[in-house]
Amino acid sequence: MSIETEDPSEIDPAEILGSAIERREDPALITGDAEYTDDIQIPRMTHMAVKRSQHAHARIEDVDTSEAEAMDGVVDVFTAEDIDVPGSLPVGWLLETLEQVDHPILAGEKVRYQGDGVAIVVAEDRYTAQDALDAIDVEYERLDAVTDPSDALNGGPEIHDDAADNVAFEWEIGNADETEEAFEEAAHTVDLEVENQLLIPNAMEPRAAVADYNPSDNQIDLAMTTQNPHVHRLLMAGVIDHPENKLSIRAPDVGGGFGSKIHHYADEALTAWAAKQVERPVKWVATRSETYQTDALGRGHETHGQVAMDEDGNITGLKVDTKANLGAYLSTFAPSIPTYLYGTLLSGQYEIPAIHCEVTGAFTNVPPVDAYRGAGRPEASYIVERLVKHAAEHMDMDPAEFRRQNFVPGDAFPYETPVAMVYDSGDYEKTLDRALEMLDYEEFRERQEAAREEGRYLGVGFSAYIEACGIAPSELVGQLGAQAGLWESSLVRFQPSGTVTAYLGTSGHGQGHDTTYSQILASELGLDIEDIDIVEGDTDEIPQGMGTYGSRSAAVGGSALVQSARKVVEKAKKIAAHQLEASEDDIEFEDGEFRVAGAPDRSMHIQDVAGAAYLAHDMPDDVEPGLEASSFYDPENFVFPFGMHAAIVEVDPDTGEIDFETYVAVDDVGNQINPKIVEGQIHGGVAQGVGQALYEGAEYDENGQLLTGSMQDYTVPKAMHVPEMETDSTVTESPHNPLGVKGVGEAGTIAAPQAIVNAVVDALEPFGVENIEMPLKEERVWRAIHENGGDA
Amino acid sequence: MEFEGTFTIEEVSPEEVWLSLSDPYMIKQSLPGCQFLTEVEDPDDVDFEELREAEPDEDPPLLPEADPDEVAARGFDEGSHYAALLELKVGAVKPSFRTVVTIDEWDHPVGSASGEGDASGSSFEMDSGMELSETDEGVAIAWHAEADVFGRIAQMGQRVINPVADRVVSRFFSNIEDQLTEVAEEDESSGLRDRIKGMF
Repeated sequence: MSIETEDPSEIDPAEILGSAIERREDPALITGDAEYTDDIQIPRMTHMAVKRSQHAHARIEDVDTSEAEAMDGVVDVFTAEDIDVPGSLPVGWLLETLEQVDHPILAGEKVRYQGDGVAIVVAEDRYTAQDALDAIDVEYERLDAVTDPSDALNGGPEIHDDAADNVAFEWEIGNADETEEAFEEAAHTVDLEVENQLLIPNAMEPRAAVADYNPSDNQIDLAMTTQNPHVHRLLMAGVIDHPENKLSIRAPDVGGGFGSKIHHYADEALTAWAAKQVERPVKWVATRSETYQTDALGRGHETHGQVAMDEDGNITGLKVDTKANLGAYLSTFAPSIPTYLYGTLLSGQYEIPAIHCEVTGAFTNVPPVDAYRGAGRPEASYIVERLVKHAAEHMDMDPAEFRRQNFVPGDAFPYETPVAMVYDSGDYEKTLDRALEMLDYEEFRERQEAAREEGRYLGVGFSAYIEACGIAPSELVGQLGAQAGLWESSLVRFQPSGTVTAYLGTSGHGQGHDTTYSQILASELGLDIEDIDIVEGDTDEIPQGMGTYGSRSAAVGGSALVQSARKVVEKAKKIAAHQLEASEDDIEFEDGEFRVAGAPDRSMHIQDVAGAAYLAHDMPDDVEPGLEASSFYDPENFVFPFGMHAAIVEVDPDTGEIDFETYVAVDDVGNQINPKIVEGQIHGGVAQGVGQALYEGAEYDENGQLLTGSMQDYTVPKAMHVPEMETDSTVTESPHNPLGVKGVGEAGTIAAPQAIVNAVVDALEPFGVENIEMPLKEERVWRAIHENGGDA
Repeated sequence: MEFEGTFTIEEVSPEEVWLSLSDPYMIKQSLPGCQFLTEVEDPDDVDFEELREAEPDEDPPLLPEADPDEVAARGFDEGSHYAALLELKVGAVKPSFRTVVTIDEWDHPVGSASGEGDASGSSFEMDSGMELSETDEGVAIAWHAEADVFGRIAQMGQRVINPVADRVVSRFFSNIEDQLTEVAEEDESSGLRDRIKGMF
């Protein structure tokens, strides 16, 4: 049952927040009116292409560009030797033990992954640039490569001089002694080794950049695929040594990111730098192969998890040891993903008295690994929910009831976990109960029993997930190592005629921010949505911003918008009181109208107040003309969405094929600004989770050569691969932001994999199968069945 | 990746096959895409442009026209190095591999060679070997190769590379087979086969 969209013109502003209005941005996106970076054409524009290493690990002995330089149509060719700026990509999150290694924008001495840039060509057209790459002669001394984090840490070839044994960091959270004690006293323990495989993000639009440099005023205008233009501007200003106020970054329409467009890569900086060198506009657009070779990967964990329980199946301790693959260099926020975004979520929805988690970050010869939809939280939820399934089995308890028994009780919020989080609000039984109802759970167990007798194998899998979104407050993340604050900014500006433009520091790239932000503003100001325009993704227009990632836009950006809107109303109220000749205390604001209490005829609409504010013919003494306000909103805490996803599958033991019977998602993301958009986020997130569970995985050979380098070899799920979903939601407001919202962008991706794997393991229980590693390809499933003899 | 196979050529002797497979000119003409195959002194210092320009327009005759003693004299020696330019069509690209091969072992009926090839954006490293054995029908050539491929062609994956490898190997052996059939036909008039047999 999918949610029907509504026409915004038929909805009263008072009702607009929370209604499923159609997305305002879609007409442009579906008619081709949208402008993506590659659509930009500038007179005299040149094209850049990057010569990439064919080896995953090699010393560069010589780079001969002479033949390429002599080609017709080649404007210039640059190598590491030509880079006259710092040219080293920074890390935005530090850890105490972190080895910060140099990450040059062009490799000069050594290449460390297949795809590492060695030279760039700037040419008159794209084809010449690509042809010229073939004319560049690079001599390499190939070195042994390593792609697996454990192999890298255990005597793998040394990738960086400064990082002994390829250790990037060692990190821990929780209390080791208390956890040890819990295991010593435990009546039962179970353990599992699981891998959370490397994933390739696959945004529909490849990364791209167009830079235009004006030498007379030293101005660089850069349009690029970014989720966070201001962050990119700050970092890039340092990388290419250019004043921040002379570097403008704009995100045109951006075709998906899933995290992969947060990070500061070399290519976009090279585009800006090259434009300055050749003094002509430069465009660079990644090919799909480059996307596969160079976009920061996601996940990449090898984890050993252990659970301690008392004799009744109450969880008393959790121990987790993870080797995290960081790839060849530290990507922008890489150190935070397998640490503070992972270890802190290991309590899941459960009351666990003692937790201890150790993580070792490993350098390997794969592309840098960083945030990918969910970023650390899917890995945490995966190990927790796989362990819980395993523990319930060990205790011979129903997995749903085992969960219920261990949930943080509904009256325990705010709840402080042993891994440094304070959950804002939650009601986990509610989503469990709703999911059980939708599954018709008891009836299913009977059907499962009956089917087994017929030699058919059905299974149900649960995923009781929690996530932390809207990472904050800035002071806390600073203590944890972030080299940035995690506030958000907004500016709400009335024009004299009564229309409004809101500027936000987030940067949507498919989420529907034009729609949801307009709904928030329409509701706050009592305006028709047609009178509202939303501007994002442009450092020239928007005062400051941190961007869109980590499901933060609604909770942090939306709250910043509310804060500015309320400041505007506050000011407008002063002006209205003055014009209405009433005391400010007697003015009420509702549905866009300022009314004098007790005299409903004496009123003034906020749009008229705007006109008066710009005319400024009759203003209160202490009030400046104009009607606008900006704010920086720094949340008190994270928000913690949660929910229960459950899958029912049938596995064919002869072929290893998995068929979905049902997929149920009950999510609690707090208040919903637009239920249709929430539903869409869940659908898309689950689709990506299905991809990880069943199909996707970046594979490299022993030399670090990518074996899944195209969509033919790396299965991105298509419509036929994604089960029909039944979605529902409960609402538990976040108590600490003005909208009571949580976040939904990553929920599906976080929740889905373990629901599916648990279902398959449940189906194969008669065969003695306890674990199968993702992706659950048919061959793997078949082998898991037959490893144990294949007899049920 | 590893490849192996056995190719059988009927109605020939192991000596004939060995002599043919030892002949750089025979290899050059049989190997699809091979532009030249030239012995070099220093495998680390090869000027492929120079070699290409120095390549004569016409090769000396192969068996059966060639004198078997001359063929034996120009045959592979253990420890010798060869430079070759190989043009292969792999999927949508047609890389030219500048290849240097070292004959690691060459002792009838066993031979092995290793080499590296370098093209723009792609390269490979390979160890290969073969062993001949006489069968009731003729000669079986058991061959194996272990190759590491890098860069653009590696990215296409085995799905693309395996058919290319199969095609190259099967064309190579069938070209050799065609040539040896000519030897067999020629033999009816000249006694060539006995001469070859006596050489080993």
